[in-house]
Amino acid sequence: MLLTELTMPAVDFEAATGWAAKPEGMCKGAVCVPAPGAVGGDGTIDVTAVAARLGMALVEDVHHNVWALGPESGGRALTTAVAPELELPDADGNPFKLSAMHGRKVLLVAWASW
Amino acid sequence: MWQALHEELAPLGLSVVTVALDFDPAKARPWIDVAAPTHPSLIDSEHRVDELFGISNVPMAVWIDETGTLVRPAEGAAIQVSPLRSMEVPADLPERMRQVLTEMKNFPDTAEAYRAAIVDWANRGAESPYALTPEEVIERSQPRSADHSRAAACFELGHHLHLQGDHDAAVAWWKEAHALFPENWTYKRQAWTLESTPEGEDSDKAQEVQDVYGTSWSDEFLRLGGGAAYVIAPDL
Repeated sequence: MLLTELTMPAVDFEAATGWAAKPEGMCKGAVCVPAPGAVGGDGTIDVTAVAARLGMALVEDVHHNVWALGPESGGRALTTAVAPELELPDADGNPFKLSAMHGRKVLLVAWASW
Repeated sequence: MWQALHEELAPLGLSVVTVALDFDPAKARPWIDVAAPTHPSLIDSEHRVDELFGISNVPMAVWIDETGTLVRPAEGAAIQVSPLRSMEVPADLPERMRQVLTEMKNFPDTAEAYRAAIVDWANRGAESPYALTPEEVIERSQPRSADHSRAAACFELGHHLHLQGDHDAAVAWWKEAHALFPENWTYKRQAWTLESTPEGEDSDKAQEVQDVYGTSWSDEFLRLGGGAAYVIAPDL
């Protein structure tokens, strides 16, 4: 996730990373990580604090005033087996949501022209 | 290939969804036009599936059941036996090329079994032994270290700056991503092909990029363990 400031609404953070702010901490699937001080009373996430708790790399390009936040680390690529929502365009630019496939089995295959 | 599998299994309630990891949709387009897919065929120009699922090369796939639960994590998804496996390597080739082709014979021999596993799952759903429990799916997903997280962030910064037109800055971030997570071939092949593809042509796959990255696809292929290491073979 690209960032131009290091605070953001918890609801936006959850949409981007899958990690929700709850009373017990930052939660994804069955996993909750205590994160005292990471969420303000107004529901604002302190990205630096949460990144440290979840092992998310926070990398700044100082020349371009932009940060990128990596995924949680220290475990496996998947924290939960619940498939994340994923919205991507088709080749014509039409958006498609993975959740539209509910009710069918999906074989999701990554390929590339290179 | 994927379209044929989709047609075969769609009546059983399975849909193929292909995701092209291409910065430039125009590079993927000709392949999609030839395949003429009736399944969703998407473009992931930000390589989001790397982070979301642990995709690190192509082709790789995940299986998702009717409830939206992953039943297999990211793994190599070849469904056709590579002709390279059985190729006779001519003795008169340059030594370097012999090494590469000989290593390609070590690509995992799982294509037929993997295809059969997909068909079994389409038929039997949760009863299929290839459909894993949520705990198994998480456990069998790829390890993710702090360096892997940092590599994802660096790759994303590179893509952002590439789109902004600052290619030199992008290359610097991609080099860092490559150093942090050498086994992620999507980060490397995507970046390299920008250097080695002539304007207006199909994406180059040989990726001799000594001048910019000081390496090439074949250098890295041999350095990282050749054919056996190149593919995360499905554990069936």
